[in-house]
Order: sequence, then C-alpha cells, then structure tokens
Amino acid sequence: MPRRAQWLGLAAVLWLAGGLLTGCGGAGQARSAYKDTVALPAEPLVEEMAEPGTHGGRFVFAETAPPRTFNTIMANESSSFDVTDGRLFTTLVDFNNATEQLTPQLCTSWEITPDGRTSTWHLRHGAAFSDGHPITSTDILFSFSIYMDDTLHTSLYDFFKPYGQKFKLSAPDSYTVVIETAGPYAMLVPVVASVYIVPEHILGDAYRHGQFASAYDVNTPPEKLVTSGPWKLKEYVPNEKTVLERNPYWCGVDANHQRLPYLDEVVYLIVPDQNTAALKFEAGEVDALDDIKPENFKSYTDNQKKGNFTFYDLGPSLNTNFLILNLNRVHDPKSKKKLGSTYLDPVKYAWFNNRDFRIAISKAIDRDAIIKSVYNGYAVKNWSTMTPGNKTWYTPDVVKYDYDLEGAKQLIAKLGWKDTNGDGVIEDTQGHPIRFSLKTNSSNVMRVAMANFIKDDLAKLGIQVDATPLEFNSLITNLRTDFNYETILLGLQSATPPDPGMGQNVWRSSGLTHYWNIKQPKPETAVEARIDSLVEKNVTTLDMAERQRTWTEMQNLLNQECLFIWLPTVEYRVPIRNRFGNLHPTITPHRILWNIDRVFAKAQKPSA
Amino acid sequence: MRTYILRRLLQMIPLLLGISFLTFILLQLAPGDFLSAQAENPMVSQERLEAMKHQFGLDKPWYVQYGLYLENIFLHFDFGESFARHQKVFVILREGLLNTLLLALAAALVTWGLAIPLGVWSAVRQYSWLDKSLSVFGVIGLSIPEVLSGLLLLMLAARTGWLPVGGMRSLDYDQMDWVGKGADLLRHLALPALVVGLTPLAGRMRQMRGNLLDVLRLDYVTTARAKGLPENVVVFKHALRNAINPLITLFGYTLGSLVSGALIVEIIFAWPGLGRITFEALQAQDQYLVLGSVLMASFVLVLGNLVADLLLAIADPRIAYA
Repeated sequence: MPRRAQWLGLAAVLWLAGGLLTGCGGAGQARSAYKDTVALPAEPLVEEMAEPGTHGGRFVFAETAPPRTFNTIMANESSSFDVTDGRLFTTLVDFNNATEQLTPQLCTSWEITPDGRTSTWHLRHGAAFSDGHPITSTDILFSFSIYMDDTLHTSLYDFFKPYGQKFKLSAPDSYTVVIETAGPYAMLVPVVASVYIVPEHILGDAYRHGQFASAYDVNTPPEKLVTSGPWKLKEYVPNEKTVLERNPYWCGVDANHQRLPYLDEVVYLIVPDQNTAALKFEAGEVDALDDIKPENFKSYTDNQKKGNFTFYDLGPSLNTNFLILNLNRVHDPKSKKKLGSTYLDPVKYAWFNNRDFRIAISKAIDRDAIIKSVYNGYAVKNWSTMTPGNKTWYTPDVVKYDYDLEGAKQLIAKLGWKDTNGDGVIEDTQGHPIRFSLKTNSSNVMRVAMANFIKDDLAKLGIQVDATPLEFNSLITNLRTDFNYETILLGLQSATPPDPGMGQNVWRSSGLTHYWNIKQPKPETAVEARIDSLVEKNVTTLDMAERQRTWTEMQNLLNQECLFIWLPTVEYRVPIRNRFGNLHPTITPHRILWNIDRVFAKAQKPSA
Repeated sequence: MRTYILRRLLQMIPLLLGISFLTFILLQLAPGDFLSAQAENPMVSQERLEAMKHQFGLDKPWYVQYGLYLENIFLHFDFGESFARHQKVFVILREGLLNTLLLALAAALVTWGLAIPLGVWSAVRQYSWLDKSLSVFGVIGLSIPEVLSGLLLLMLAARTGWLPVGGMRSLDYDQMDWVGKGADLLRHLALPALVVGLTPLAGRMRQMRGNLLDVLRLDYVTTARAKGLPENVVVFKHALRNAINPLITLFGYTLGSLVSGALIVEIIFAWPGLGRITFEALQAQDQYLVLGSVLMASFVLVLGNLVADLLLAIADPRIAYA
C-alpha cells in the first residue's frame, strides 16, 4: 500500500480547507469624529429633518450595474444618475422627494415677473465646489449653455425652447442670474431643477475644445473630479464599487448648524445578481436593497425583526405598463413605402382603428386577476402616464374602461363580428378571423405573464392572441424603426421631475414616444389636434389650476379613445437596516438615497 | 523552435482579422443598436437620438465603420471607445482580464491540485470503495450546474459568516497591510474558485487514473517491482512521470477556455471579470467593446494552444518543432 498516495490526498484536502478558513475576522466600522475645518458659508442651506444626527459611519447600497460616467449631463443610464444627480452634483432648485415640492438649493430665492417672461435667481453666498472654488453666476451660465448646446443636444435640450425660442440667460453680477423666456413657461422651475451645476474653471476648456462629452469619465482621478453636490468621489473600482465621501465645502447644515453630510462614506457596491444581493443584505454586508420582486415581499415582511431592518412600503411605482395597437402610418418621405399607407395589414388596421374594438379589448382584461396572480397582490390599477404614486399629478377620476366582460361582448356584437364557422374564433364582417400577435420583452417576467393573461382574457371574446416574447432590442426596433408589429405590451419610465410637461413626447402627435402613431407631421385626428393644443396650453401657463384642468382633459381625451390600453402598475417596497436615522425612502427616483446627505448612523452599543 | 513560435504568432493575424469581421457582421445583423435602450424614456427626442448616433459614428454605413475600426487598430493600436462608458476599450478590458486570470488560475489550482493526487490515489487502489466513491463524488461535481452550487455556497457563507458573500475585496481592503490584503483576496477567491474548479475535476481525475493504470501495466514497471524497488518509488518516480504527459497538454488548452468560461460564476459572485464586461456589452450592443473582448478572448485561446504545444515539446523529448 503506497503511503505517499494517502499523504498526497490528505494534503489536497488540507490545502483546500486552509485556503477556505484563513482569517475569519469580521470587519468592524471605526467611528471617527469629524472635525469641520472649513468656515460655514455666509448663507448656509439649513436642511429640515426629523432629528439632528452625528457625524461618521458608512452606508452601503447594492446596484446591479456600475456608473458609466460621472458626467451627469451626458449620461444615459440610471446607474450613472444614481451617483451623480443630487449626490456629486446639485442644482439651483431641488426637487424634494418627501414633499414633492421644488425648494431653493444653490439659490436662496427666485422671483418671476407677472408677465411670466423674466425670472431672477439669487445665488447662495458662500456655496463652493469641492475644491473650494466659489459657485458663481459664471458656473450657472456655463452649465446652462452645455444643456442648450446644439451639437451635444442633451436629453433636456427641447425643454429650453418654449415658443420655439431658446432661454436667454444673463448675469447682472456674480450672484444673480436672469432667465428670459418668450412667454410664461410652466416647465421653467422643473427645468432649472434639472440643470446640474458643473465647474466652469475645470470643464470650461474641455467644452470649448469640443471634448465635453468625454470629460468626467469614470477614469477621472478623484481629486480632479470637482463637484457641486454634498459628496465628492473617493474611489471608483471598475465593476466593484463606487465610494463617495463628504464634500467639505458643501453649503448644507442641520438645525444646529452642523455641516452635512453626516456620513463619512456612501458605497455603491456592484452586485449583478439579485439573489447574491439579497444574501449580502442578509449577511449585513449591504444596508439597503432596491427592486425587490413582489413574490419576495412576504419573506422580507416576516424577517424584519430578526434581520433588524424595516421593509418600507413606497406605494405604486411611477412607471407604467400598457398595451398599444399599431396605428402607425408612413411619415418618412425617404421610406420605400407609399407615404401615408399603414404599416399594418389594412384589414387589421381597420379593426385597431375602431374605437369600440379598442374599448372591448380594454374591458375584456381582468386587471384584478393580473394584480392577484402576476404581482401577488402588490400592484394597483393605473389609467395614466402619471400613476397613483404621483402626489401632484395623479387624477383619480379619469375616464377608464375597466373589466366588464359583458360590456365587451356587447361591443363586439355591435360590430357584427361573430364566430360563423364554429372554430371558437370570431370573424369580422368580411370573414377574416380576429387574430393578432402581442409582443413584449422577454427579459421582463411580469410583462410576459401579463401577456399570457391578456391572451386568455381575449379568448373569452373569441379573439385569438399569439403572445410573442422578444429580446428587448428587437422589440424596440419593431416599435420605432420598422413598425413590424401588431400589438406591443410595454411601459414608460417616469420623467424627472414627474410632471406631465416633462413627458410631452408621449402626448404630442409629433413625439417619439407617441407610440401608437409616432412622429406625425401634423395631427391626424381631431382628438390628437386637441391634445396637442392642450399640451401647449399646459406648459405655457404658470397657473396651476389651469394646468390641472388641461391635464385632466388631456387624459380624458386619450382614455376615451383608448389608445393606451392601461395595465396595472407594480408597488415598491425596500428593506433598509434599522441603524440609520432620517431615512425617508420615496417612490420618486433616487428612492432610497435622495436625502442620504441628511442620513446618519445611530450610535451603536460597543459589541464584544 | 524560435521560427516555429514566430510562425504561429504570425498565423494569428489573419485569424483575428477574420474573427473581428465575423463579429462585426453579426453585430450589424442583430436588431436594434446601442440607442435602443432609450425607448422607454419619455424625455428623449428624435434629435437627441440623431445627435447620439452622430457622436458614436453609428450614422455611417457599416463598411465605413469597420474600415475606421481597422485603421485605428493598425495605425494607432487603438481598439475604439465604449459607447456606454465613454472609455477606451483597451482600458476596460485590461481591468477585467487581470481579475479573470486570477480567478482562472485559482480555479486551475483547485482542479489540478485535487485531480492529480486523487487520480493517483484511486489508480493505486483500483476498484476499492475509495476509488468508487471518488468517481461518484466526481460525477456529482460535474453534473451540478454552477448556478446552483454557486448560490448554495453563497447561502452557506451568508448564514455562517465564515466567508464573504461574493465580491473580490472587502470595503476596508485599502486600510489593510499586505498580509491582510492577501488573506482578504484569498477569502473572496475561495468560493468562486471552488465552483469553477470543481466542474472539470471529475474528468481530469479519471484521466489521471486511466493514464497511470495504463503505465502501471507496462513491462518496465513490472521490472522495477521485480528489482525489489519500494512501491512508492515505482509509482512516483517511474510510472507517474510518464503518465502525466497528456495532462500537461490538457492544462495548456484549459488555460485558454478558462478565461472565457467563467461568466455565470462572475455574475453570481459579483466578480469583476472579463465575462461580465462582455455580457453587459453584448446586451447593450456596445459594439467596439464586444469586438474588443471577443478579440481578447480569441487571442488568449490561441495563445493557450501555443503554450500547450510548447509544454508538450518540453515534457516529451520525442517531440520537436522544426
């Protein structure tokens, strides 16, 4: 018997075990007292909060993807905005997620002349970038000019052109900025609240040399990334983590005039798999999770006490789900097809163009069953681009066509469509069987499940639906480029701030997200023309009551036509550890971290 | 030998060119492009899309795009820029490659560090209960999908607190001394390396066992035993040296495939490697990043094959490359 063979085997096992168990120390968090070395600004920003906190500590947040750039103006994805917007960079006016109000931030106040054309913004004295350089009107003008740049064409670009004329900005002195618009503009303050202020003394040269788009990329050394927000970059490790530390010059203070932020660090840990993120939360390596699936709500609710966390109910999402029927016509003169012809088979176009048919579909969908089965009960019915999660713009009593199978059957009977050959599928008056395909993106499990529910619901009307889950990019090509689809189940994200004026592309007949018939050269129907004029009215008045009135009418008109067949919207819940104070998670974007500069770590009993 | 290596390296150029062309064509044929992801955002207008298309050069015909891509590679050794990250492809891939190589090497250590001794063990005790249970264990390791074993191990780590739950470094890594850093890295490496390493273990173990059994039946081994040499010397000094030859070749080949084969483990264990970068780039149709990573993976694969051939020549004096 070769003894050495035994030894070799044993050595292999030991080698493995040794590797596994080296160093099992838990990482403790040192709590260092913060010494404020910079004098407080002349006009500090006094933040309101539940209770004043103490300095120190760290908050660890799990994200599925890393930021792609720190240049908030050129960024396109939420994983970048989560780090930049409100964290690294801030604005003249801040959208307060808790109150859903716009409040002064880098400015102390603003006034708008009675004619609504001229607004004057008073900058905060003593506000400074993270390198100590004061924030003056030069920086405000510079930041606005980038957003309004013709070649960069940022996503906000169109919002700076009410009445077809660009904003005119001027700076009478270093701490005053004047904005002139061609007429009263409802979106003025929301747009100003979306302009993140970047330092002219750092980025001015890059901008003038046409290199702004690649400035502030993720390889920028932290000391060169000068920020205007409460935080600055400490460290970026590709695909691992992004660490922010406090900006020592930040102008925000608490009621006791202690400088904010309280926390030493905010860590965005990249965890691509949600199961792993959940385990990391369980193990205490992560302090908060986002995007929990409704099917897991119960287990988080049950484990709150044991896991020492709170499972916050944020209410309905601001994002929507809906079914659209393809009513697109050829509008592009370069297209090979005849201008004005339909992309869809004319027979099917005639069905879809029939309002009663659309209403019948909407009435056939049992939304309560979808909520119960697809979302485990954690969803609400929604009938607009502004969901019940929106405090300011949600309109409860809009026109809607909810589940009413008998009503749907009557509408179909009125059309004269019935099953003549006994195959279970109804035919139209020319004998074409009513059958169409329903595409949705396969990566969204909820949408695929909803598509299957709709298929079953419509079968009860004798309509045959072929549910076709597709890969996202193919779906979008069908939706916007080749219009090769019959119906699509999709959703829209919320605009920020969540104001109908920011989502004009959905409502205007010329819009790119006016999905049932996009980019119309001029409105094709009287209803669309009416909606277009209501959108225009809605954004060119400062009278809030008038805005609400036009907004309600817009929604009613659209819903009467049933061009969006609305589907339920999911509810959000987030688990966060109990060891933090001043947390106030909300449904509006940056759900958990929006006020992280005011969050503090509660003093912990020294553990053994 | 030197001319042989040179010739093999030169052969890589047309091969990589072909691969890049095929990948580029496939990316062009795939529906949608990098800008498709903007469809659910109600704030993006047509003009914004056009401006971005122009910025990324996507408004040019595909052959012009490909021509420019090749020109930049040959004239400036520049592999283009990622659309999503606004960074040079080369920089992004370099970061990922090092992490993936670290994981691949650790996994290779697990595989070979266990396969050789266990293979030898079961060969010298052929048909014993130990031999049989090792092959059962091996087959189980081979058949459990990485997703399952990965998540189960992570669950164990989360419940017991013995090991970190995924990731590559602790948050306090920078404050550690070099011993602490090494231990921290090893603790994070243990589980993913185990998962990647255990899958090919069964095959390698059986191979080692089979090879050694073949050699042990040869005449010279009988001669050695007849001479009265101790069994240890017979097995380790005479038989093992000859039996291990084919495994050296295999080792070189696996080096190449390890780099591209760890995607699932990288995702589950939040390991910042090349697989994740490629996967995310593919999903977003970030075309130059996809091209770059496909080229890099092909390069490593071809290089692995070359190393395998060279190792064989070194191990076996009968093989010589003119």
